[in-house]
Amino acid sequence: MIRIKPFFIFILICVYPCVFAADYSKFSHSTQKHRAACDTCHKIKLPDITDYPDHSACVSCHRPQFFRGARPPICSVCHSKTSPRDEARLPFRNPASNLQFTIEFPHDSHQDVIAMLKFSHAPQNYYSCAVCHGQRTAMFKAVPTGHESCFNCHWKSQQPVADNCNGCHKLATTPYTTKEAPVRISAKFIHDGGGEKKQHVAECTTCHINITKATSLRGLKPDVPITSCTECHNKDGLRQDLSKELVAIDKDRNFTCVYCHAANVGNLDPPTSHYLIAERPPIKRKDIK
Amino acid sequence: MRVVCVALLLMITAVLAQNQTGVLRLRVRVKLDDASPLRGLPRKRFFLIPGTLEQNRALIDSIERQPLITRDCYYQKLGASAALIDWLKDGDCESVYCRAVEKDFVTGPKAVPEFATAFTASQKEYGNDETARQWLTTNLTPDLRDGFYRDRQRALQALLKQAPAVQSVMTDHNGTAYFTDLGPGSYVLTNLIPTELGQTLVTWNCEVQVKAGDLATEKPYLVSNRKEKLVKCVSVEKPKPVCTAN
Repeated sequence: MIRIKPFFIFILICVYPCVFAADYSKFSHSTQKHRAACDTCHKIKLPDITDYPDHSACVSCHRPQFFRGARPPICSVCHSKTSPRDEARLPFRNPASNLQFTIEFPHDSHQDVIAMLKFSHAPQNYYSCAVCHGQRTAMFKAVPTGHESCFNCHWKSQQPVADNCNGCHKLATTPYTTKEAPVRISAKFIHDGGGEKKQHVAECTTCHINITKATSLRGLKPDVPITSCTECHNKDGLRQDLSKELVAIDKDRNFTCVYCHAANVGNLDPPTSHYLIAERPPIKRKDIK
Repeated sequence: MRVVCVALLLMITAVLAQNQTGVLRLRVRVKLDDASPLRGLPRKRFFLIPGTLEQNRALIDSIERQPLITRDCYYQKLGASAALIDWLKDGDCESVYCRAVEKDFVTGPKAVPEFATAFTASQKEYGNDETARQWLTTNLTPDLRDGFYRDRQRALQALLKQAPAVQSVMTDHNGTAYFTDLGPGSYVLTNLIPTELGQTLVTWNCEVQVKAGDLATEKPYLVSNRKEKLVKCVSVEKPKPVCTAN
């Protein structure tokens, strides 16, 4: 019994560096010593912050880790190759790493102040959402990714200003990832589409009816009610795109709705809202003989 | 045929009854004067407050009593140039952020003096004309930039303290907006802060009944400053106050 205790302590001493040693290949803003003012390390440059802090930001505390072996793990936080002879850096911020900050953004206030901002967006000549949401692909609009989108107003004087990082960025309780693209139910919708007349080009709130309600980015959904589509796509004397597919399901319960949807959605039971528009009682595929 | 239609309607009603939320399809159409046609009121916020007018009496009284300075008076008091006041008025703007500052308003005969000064400072600071113009607002004084908007926000926030669980939406260019996911019941529809419309200040405070249903079944709730056919909520209008000297 007397010999077991020293042996146990010996084992702990041996195992400790392997189990509990810091992993210097990962940088965390939540480490106490990394919670200093942001500009201690990050240099705010016009018009955006596009690079990692200089070596001096790290080396003052991490000199031992900097000179540890030929390929110090700490280098991999910023550099694509952990070699003193290669200065290539990872993109800033590194899309492969988890996000450590959430963004506080009052969506409604920004809509308020830029609401009348006019752009040459033919034929309507209004489109204030496009100030931030440009075209990403034919299907999707983009979201701002750089500070440049904010600094044109918030560079100085208008809080939160460029050196008040905490005004927008709050340290998250745990690192997290975000989906690269939002899940689109009507995967085939094209924002700039709508035939030769480009009838899809409309004011954003024509379809995104809830977007002016949102006070923050949390839970923000680009939800579009079916009525926004069926105003044209299921109207007597115009088109019957929805009704035709509901009829097709009546005939074959395995029919996939393809006009708007990809197969992952098109194989599901159409929601009640679709049947309401078509002025029919809702049915489930399994009940169709 | 009639039996089928009735059965269909009953089924639709049953489906609607299962859906416990309702929608208010707001349509705001106004006239600047009696000779003008009705037109949509674009880009204005409306608020929906749970309860009846009577239940929200204290709030309605506060809305009606609030002292309010108009945009023109605010900027005149600041000593802003007539060109800036006109520029704001032209876009019905509460702050300089609401319109892109085009080249014409920075230099040349149409230039707004405040913009020209800020542009010169921005040129020195940012080094090129395009950035200087696009980042021009960073060199305007806070009051000129968005002081009027902040004033109105302060008044709005003070009123909203008296009204929990408020939904707010902004009208589109046609004056249409949607309140969704509403529990059935009574609400007060209001703009809280008077809207400047021509030479008048316009306030809406109306009681609305929301029933369970969705967009497919909901008819527009027409709001106006004129009592006309189908208009369900008519505003109270007051003449704009005369601006006092500095």
